[in-house]
Amino acid sequence: MRISIDIELKDVPGELLRALEPIASYGGNIVSIVHLREEKKDKVPVHLIFEIDSQEKLKKILEEYEKRDISVLKIGEAKRRIVVTVGVVGHIIDTDLMDTIDRINEVEGALVEDLSLRMSDPEKESSAIFKVVLSDEEIKEKFFERLYEIAREKDLLIIKSISD
Amino acid sequence: MKEVKVQIIGFGFIGQSFAEVLTKRREYLKRNYNLDIKVVSISDISGTIYGDIDLIKALRTMKEKGRIVDYPNEAKVKKSSGLGIEAIENIEADLVLELTPSNIRDGEPGLSHMLAAFRNSKHVVTSNKGPLAIAFKKLKEEAEKNGVEFKFEASVGGAMPIINFAKETLAGTKIISVQGIFNGTTNYILTKMTRDNVPLDIVLKEAQEMGIAERDPSYDIDGIDTASKLVIIANAVMDIDATIKDVKIEGIRKITPELITLAKEDGYVVKLIGEVCKNKLEVSPRLVPISHPLNVGGTLNVAVFYTDIAGEVTVIGKGAGKETVSALLSDIISIYRCR
Repeated sequence: MRISIDIELKDVPGELLRALEPIASYGGNIVSIVHLREEKKDKVPVHLIFEIDSQEKLKKILEEYEKRDISVLKIGEAKRRIVVTVGVVGHIIDTDLMDTIDRINEVEGALVEDLSLRMSDPEKESSAIFKVVLSDEEIKEKFFERLYEIAREKDLLIIKSISD
Repeated sequence: MKEVKVQIIGFGFIGQSFAEVLTKRREYLKRNYNLDIKVVSISDISGTIYGDIDLIKALRTMKEKGRIVDYPNEAKVKKSSGLGIEAIENIEADLVLELTPSNIRDGEPGLSHMLAAFRNSKHVVTSNKGPLAIAFKKLKEEAEKNGVEFKFEASVGGAMPIINFAKETLAGTKIISVQGIFNGTTNYILTKMTRDNVPLDIVLKEAQEMGIAERDPSYDIDGIDTASKLVIIANAVMDIDATIKDVKIEGIRKITPELITLAKEDGYVVKLIGEVCKNKLEVSPRLVPISHPLNVGGTLNVAVFYTDIAGEVTVIGKGAGKETVSALLSDIISIYRCR
């Protein structure tokens, strides 16, 4: 799992290293460090994101922080946002656009975030670009499975991006 | 000096372009490659001419009469009503240049020509993708069985180096997947739709008038041509035993100018992409980021190789037209360079 944590460190040399050591010693992988030094206080807020493979190890890291007098302001699981762009051509509105969006949103971790649509003529097929936010990479397959299921049923053409 | 006796089977646009280049390059090939390429027979649907052929006269015959058997009567050149097969079976030669039109239904007549050439221990160089998309494995096996070379660089991407590039220049590197634009006509249509915001049928009509699209455009715009090329890449470059039946195909017929506009507003263009990796052979319209190397315009072809050592490698070139002759020529040279 990917952990996002806000901590506060004393503004003295070696403090950041003291905060990173426990993560490294439990086999965590540091993804990002944002060190907000410009806030000019005696304590410096630091935002860390790291990957760790069990709750147990996370608990140990937090215990170590307590021992080292590092205060934890906020902790939670970091979400990696993936935005998938998909083109759609067909009778998008007539085949119940709301139903299409709802059924995509029913896929856990998928959410239609944006939709642009154009119609050349009410009788003709319309075109759209959907932007769908996925909570992580693993949802992608389920999302496309659902999308193609809808497309088959409603005779819609799906145009995937080159990276999907 | 190595004399190479070549039979040209199929004397349409590509065959004639090859003959034209050969008339200008004969001395160059002798000087630089020690090769004396001699065309000993030419066959088209009217029959065959063989003997001491003057290519300039052959080209003039096609221009004026449209049939190779109308070559001027002279003692050193014989004529026969026999077609390609008879020519391959009966005329002594080292190499067959198979340039008949591509047929994706059964690969004929190209398939029979190639098999006959192998049976008669003749190398084959071709631009004809039909037989390869249908019977790649069989052709490759027959060539090997008879100890001759089978070269088909011109069948994919015209002048754009792809097959030999992947097999020789990228030798030792594992190719994980290939994505590309392998059909110049659809690329022209989509590029024009993007630029001028006009529907497909209007651009198609214009492309037909310009000679870029065929009168029956389905081969191009329904993705069949791209699929044939994808099969050749799968077999030749990635060692995947596939035929055209294994390709999931969706063409560009349903693409609207509105979709293209929306995509453009979002930083994408729409392209007909062929994609091959271990478990997937697919032709479909895709959204390509404007800054992506696959975004090439006009009638250009492009291929991006995703490799394990070299990372992404891209080649771009003219996918059709008389430039294709360069691929035929390099195939012929490569056969004799190793011999």
